Formats: sequence, structure tokens, C-alpha cells
Amino acid sequence: MVMDIMIAAGQAVLLLCLAPLIVGIINKTKAILQKRQGASVFQEYFDLWKWWQKPVIVTKYCSWVFLAAPVVYLATSIMAAMMLPGLLQNGLRLGDAFVFVYILALGRFFMTLGSMDSATAFGGMGGSREIYISVLVEPAVMLAILVNAARYGSTTLSQMVIDYNAFYFTVPAVMAGVAFFLVMLAENSRLPVDNPDTHLELTMIHECMTLEYSGRLLTFIHWGSMLKILSFLVLFGALYMPLPLPIAVKVLLSAVLIGLVETLNNKMRLFKVRVYLSAAVVMLAVAFIAQ
Amino acid sequence: MAEAIWQLKTVKPKALKGTANILSNGGKNPLTAMFGRDESENPDVQGYAIYVVFENLAEHRLEAVKAIFEPGESLCYESLTPLIPAAAWYEREIQDMFGIVPQGHPDPRPLVLHDTFPEGYYPLRKKVDKTAQVRGQRRMDMAVARGEGLFEVPVGPIHAGIIEPGHFRFSQAGESMLQLDARLFYTHRGLEKVMEGKTVTEALPIVERICGACSVANTWSYCQAVEKIAGVKVPRRAEIIRTLLAEVERITNHVGDLGNIPAGVGFNPAISLGGRTKELLMRLQEQLAGNRFLRGVIVPGGVAKDITPALADAVTAALEKAAQNVADLDAMFAQQANFQNRIRTTGTVRKTTAVDLAMVGVGARASGFAHDSRKDFAYGVYPELDFQLITETSGDVAARLAVRIRELRESFALVKALLAKLDQSADESDLTVNIDWSNVSGEGWGISESARGSDFHYAALIDGRIDRIFVRSASYPNWPAVTIAVQGDIIPDFPLINKSFELCYACIDR
Repeated sequence: MVMDIMIAAGQAVLLLCLAPLIVGIINKTKAILQKRQGASVFQEYFDLWKWWQKPVIVTKYCSWVFLAAPVVYLATSIMAAMMLPGLLQNGLRLGDAFVFVYILALGRFFMTLGSMDSATAFGGMGGSREIYISVLVEPAVMLAILVNAARYGSTTLSQMVIDYNAFYFTVPAVMAGVAFFLVMLAENSRLPVDNPDTHLELTMIHECMTLEYSGRLLTFIHWGSMLKILSFLVLFGALYMPLPLPIAVKVLLSAVLIGLVETLNNKMRLFKVRVYLSAAVVMLAVAFIAQ
Repeated sequence: MAEAIWQLKTVKPKALKGTANILSNGGKNPLTAMFGRDESENPDVQGYAIYVVFENLAEHRLEAVKAIFEPGESLCYESLTPLIPAAAWYEREIQDMFGIVPQGHPDPRPLVLHDTFPEGYYPLRKKVDKTAQVRGQRRMDMAVARGEGLFEVPVGPIHAGIIEPGHFRFSQAGESMLQLDARLFYTHRGLEKVMEGKTVTEALPIVERICGACSVANTWSYCQAVEKIAGVKVPRRAEIIRTLLAEVERITNHVGDLGNIPAGVGFNPAISLGGRTKELLMRLQEQLAGNRFLRGVIVPGGVAKDITPALADAVTAALEKAAQNVADLDAMFAQQANFQNRIRTTGTVRKTTAVDLAMVGVGARASGFAHDSRKDFAYGVYPELDFQLITETSGDVAARLAVRIRELRESFALVKALLAKLDQSADESDLTVNIDWSNVSGEGWGISESARGSDFHYAALIDGRIDRIFVRSASYPNWPAVTIAVQGDIIPDFPLINKSFELCYACIDR
């Protein structure tokens, strides 16, 4: 058991180190597709280092929740990364799918509290939108888990890994794969639900919650969300991508795919997100029934 | 060229409202501008004056009324705003600048001078203490809606992007915008005051720098105003070059907007293509003028720089490329269903609102109010040119985008026609008329159509020096429309709506 936890921790550290690179690759893909030169794929490391060196400025009107939120957010992201189906070793039985989902929900809950704690208009706006999105995302993620759980008879993430040796182009596998990708975009604040590149505060969702943060607290939040993206990419690759490829290749492929989707799409109307996520839920329901 | 006539009536302040009512012709004639002037040093007047200028759309001319406040007379008059909503900002500005009070104004808050200005300090009066410290503390309230569950969202004056300062106060019910109050004029530069006492040529560089995006339009309006006073006719080749520059400026601005509007919804390929095309055009402008903003070419009396055949070829080449990119952008917009969904029915301005607020330019035409100074006033070589006045009817973001795309097509054709005219007039060497300004006195006005709408300039000269200059750029009448357009939409749509108007802060911070 101790060994298992050590391995899982090693896996989380590895993912934590690679997360900025994956975001850099997504950004580079977007830049190339838009005929721009774009920043280096290592830019996100420089940004994290830049924020790390800056002082933390905290308004006197906020409580300890404001300070705790980024820490909890990063910690829950790391815990979620530990649960991912074995990168270093197969068959680890640490990660239960439901725990995975609600650990991340805990992090989001604290981020929302933190965003409202400073009582600025933008923080509250971002917080309320984040909750609105996550209320819609949650059933979709649950259904996605149930599709695989029903197929493999377990809710442990490592038991739900798609069978690498077989092509799984069945209706449930493809439907669940496409739907999970849609949900992943919403969950990680990507286009067409949220625009990670914008400077327009009024349109932001996730970024809106981070506006009051600075210095190391900001580093925690950004690193946490990068790790979350990478964790979801790993999960997508391991559980929902029916291709017999190594996991690293799958993650790279899906990162490029996100870049492509973000280039081809623009942000949808805020209240249309529910239509978008309902589509994902319907596909997952079909996949579940077909399973 | 049909010489547009300035019909000026002089009345007593108490007759101002009645006369303005007649001139507005039941709201059919839009208010062009309203401004004050301190003529206390003029022996014929010896007091303050307020000018109210209307545009007679049917007769294609300006009609103005001037109310003179005689010395000792109380500085107040009956507000025109309840009758003519478009007068609201002008009256507040005159109140700030001259201390002339519009009685019965529904919103008499200060407009231009913020809390830092001391009470009773009126910068545009002639006898003002120019060394006064601006450290006063006046209260400036924002207009907000109050009630159970409503809240305010303050945005700005410093924004996350590199843009000019403006404070927006949203009254929200959830995501829905109930009311928006905009507080602008943060970087009031006192340009009109600075230009007082300057010669016509000294003031020119200041006029060129009122705004970076429409320096041709501003300079041209200014030159028209002073040329009217001097009574000179500009050489034909100079008129062709001025018209050409104005169209190049329009193309550059419209293309910039085609790249900016998609930024409101994160439509990345369109942002990139629009940005690239704008850069192409800015470089063309640099070739034409020696700077990226087309400054220094238009001068009172003509133009200072010729367009050689080599430059004409550069224009043709750059615009061909730009036209291709605009066609690509148009196709991109049309094919992107998600983008169309964002821009349709968003930020609607109805035609009645556009007429009431006397909107100009793209904003007016997108709501079906056919107002284009190129058609309404025969200036430059526009009367000889064949082009369509573009209007849309829906008044939303989609309409404003469509007006720009269709106008771009007209402008590309116009530039082609102008280059042909330029070629025909190649043997004319006269580009400027030399004017001896030293004893030129009088008042005049100029109007030209910038990319955002008509630019109105009023100038009064005394012995070749500026006694009063008033600048009303196209953004001035359109800003209040933004606060109307947002009502009923949700707050994440505000950046998109704002970008679809693409109004200028500097133009009003003059």
C-alpha cells in the first residue's frame, strides 16, 4: 500500500512537471493554425516562474478562505492526478472514479469561495458562472464513468482502462469518447465554453475567478488548472480513446485536437452552454444504454 | 459643387428652445452639434454664445441658431434635451466648460470635468486662470438601478487590454444588463483651449493628433472650415488626393474592425486575418504619408504630398490583397454558425433611437438611418463618384458588421476610380493654394465622413488666429447609443456590442 502511494505520488509529480508543456503545445498548435509564430512551448514554465517571484497582494477585506483556496485547488488537482490509471505501473487500485470527480469538485468549490471572498464584482460573476457550468458538467461526467463502469464492472479508474489490444469502434465507445471530449472542454474552461486567451473580464468564467490573485497564489491556481487539463487528457486517452497507441501519443494527439477545436470554434452564448452539454449528456445516455 | 449654406439665426437665450424646435423640424433634422463660445472680448457681442447646429437632410445644408448671453444676463436657458434627446451631452459639456446652465436638464451631472476639477472652474472661458490647480473634490454619482437582488458591476477606467480609459457601471439582475452608465472623458486634453490663439498652421499638428484612427477625417474637416473662412478653392488634384486618403483611412479602420469584432467572441482565425490585413494597410499608409496614420499630407489650402504613379501602384497592389482577405473574412463569418448566433439580435439599436440620438456613421446606417456625409454634403470629389449608401435594418452587431463589409466593397471600387482620376490629372502640378492668413477673420465649419461617421469642425478666426475651435468627432453622438444598445442583453455580450460600435475615447477626450 505504501509502495502504491509512492508510485502514485511519483506519477503526480511527473504530470505536474509536464502539465505546463502540454498547455504550451496546445497554444503552439493554435498559433500555427492561425498563421502566427506563437510563444515557445516552454512559455508556461516561464510564466509560472514569473508569478512565483512576485509578491502576493491581498486585500484587507478577505478572510483565510481567500488564501486557502489556491492551495486546496492545487492539492486536489495533485490528488486527482495520483488516481489516474497507472502511467508508471499498471493495476494500481487507488483511484475510484467517483472520488476522482468529487475531489476535483472540492477544489472547484474552494476556488469559487475564494473568488467571492474578496467581494469584487468580477469574482462573484466568475464564481456563479463556474457553478452554473459545473452543475451541468457533473451529470455528464457521471454518465461517462458509468458507461465504462458498466462495461468493465468496476468504478476503479485503473480497471476501467480501455482494452489497448482491441479496436473499440463500437457505438458506446465512440459516443462516450466524443461526449467526454466535449465535457472535457467545458470542465477545463476551453473554447467554445470559455475562452482561456481573452482579456475581456466580462466574458470570462474561470479566469474571472483568478483576477484578484497574484504571486504564488496565482502560480498555484494556474499550475492546478494546467495539471487538471493534463489529468483529463490522460483520462480521455486511457478510458475513452479507442486507439491502440501509447498513452503519451494519445495525450499529444488530444492536445493537438484541443488546439484545432479552439481554432475552428468561437465562444458560444453563455446560456447556450446548457444546450451544448445536454448534447453530451444525450450521447452518453445513448452510449450507456447501448452498453 | 453645391456650396452648403450655413443659415445662422441670432436670438435671445429665452428664444433658443423655440427656435431649435423649429429648426429640428419635429425631429426630422438631426442635431449636428451644440457648442459654446466666449465672445466677451468681441466688441460686437461682449458675452457668451451658444450655437445649436442642425442638419437639414432634405436640403443638404446646415441650419444653426446662436443664442447670445449679454453681459450681466444670467447664464441659464431652458434645456433643449427634453425636446431633442441628442442635446443631452452637449448641454452638459457647455455647462462644464462655460458654466451656462441648462434649466430642466434631466441629467445635469458633470460630463467632461471629473471630480478633480474645482467647483466654478470653467476652462473655455477666456478669462480663466490657466495656472489653477485641479485638486477639487466634487461628488460624481453614477446612475444605477436599485432594488432587491440587483447589483452593480464597475468596470474600468483601467482595463485589462491596452485601450483607452472609460468607466462603465452596469446595473445587473443576474447576467442581464438593466442599465449601463458610462463615465468617459478621463483624459480630457484641453485641445480646444490649447488651440486658442494659435495660427491656422500651428494648430494643424494638434488637429491631426485628436485621434489616431481618423486623422484624415479630422484634418479634412478642419481644413474645410478654415478654407471656407478664407474663401479659397482647393486645386482639383488635391481634392482627389484628399478623397483617396479618406477612403484608404476608411478601409484601414473597417478592416481593423473586422478583426476586432470576432475578438469579442474569441473567433481566433478571423482575429488573426483581420490583424494581418490591417498591418498591410498601415504599411501602405506609411508609404503614402511617411507615417502610419496618414498625418502631414492634408494641409489648409491643399495637400503637401503628391501620390506618384509608383505610390499609386503600391495602393493598387495592397488593396487587391486586402480585398481578397476581406472576401475570405466575409466567407469565414458566413460559414461559422456559432459566430452568426452570437452576433444576430445582439446589441440592437432601433431606428427611432438612432434618429433621436442623431447617431452618425456605421451605427446609424446599421439601424436603417441613412446618414452619410459623403452623400449629404458635396465635398471632395464625392459628387463625381458613383457609390452606394449602405444601410441595414436590424440594428444589431450583425448589421454593423454587414455595413462595414459592404462599405469596404464600395470603398475598394472608389479607390480604383480615384486612382483613374489621379492619372487623368497627372499634368496638373498645383497641389496647394498659398493663403496669407494674417488678416483672415470669420467663422466656418467643415464636415467629412470618417470610418465612424461624420466629423464636424467649427472654427472662428480673428486675424488668422484661432479664437474658438470646436471638434465633434463621430464617436461623440454615438457613445450614448451604446448604453441603449446593451439593454436586454447579458453582460458577457457587452465587449462584443462595444466592439461593434468601435467608438473612440480620444475623439471625445479633446
